[in-house]
Amino acid sequence: MTVAFVAAAVAMLIGLIPAGIVLCRASLMAAVVAYEFITSVVVMVLALLAQGFGRSGLFELAVLLAVLMFGSGLVFVRALERWL
Amino acid sequence: MARDIAADVLLGLAVAVVISASVGVLVMRDPYQKLHFVTPAALIAPLLVTLAVLARMGLTENTGETCLALGFMVIAGPFLSHATVRAIRIREKGDWRPGRDGAKATRETDR
Repeated sequence: MTVAFVAAAVAMLIGLIPAGIVLCRASLMAAVVAYEFITSVVVMVLALLAQGFGRSGLFELAVLLAVLMFGSGLVFVRALERWL
Repeated sequence: MARDIAADVLLGLAVAVVISASVGVLVMRDPYQKLHFVTPAALIAPLLVTLAVLARMGLTENTGETCLALGFMVIAGPFLSHATVRAIRIREKGDWRPGRDGAKATRETDR
């Protein structure tokens, strides 16, 4: 286990608290912005944890989330733009 | 040893970027301003993390997968930001183009 990568991942998770407050308390579009921010950081956290623990299987989660972040984000904002 | 120090410094910078951007998302007033602080977390921090992984681990299979995930995020981030700001403007003004406001200007954007 590489401690530096795990420590960085934990620090990034702690850094998500302000964005989490926005996600819970702000207006709808501000919450969407916070959601995109959190998703971006979580991709990094997953990659860092996989690297820190040295398990190659865990990298699939980071890659999948990075791909899904793009697709789901576009669908989400399109739906907000037109229907919600 | 030097590579470890470089990796630690890069990781520290990435964490600092994420935390400061997160505070920026909290402090800024409207979604347009908040969206500016997504970019450092979606572009700069992944680059720093990728460089840190490269510095620490060298070229391995795991490094390649890290680069793949973070590289995809770096490519997708600007497109997502553009789509988001377009959606915000359409919800507020009814049209994203200047001078065509009003169609949905009264739409409620808050919960």
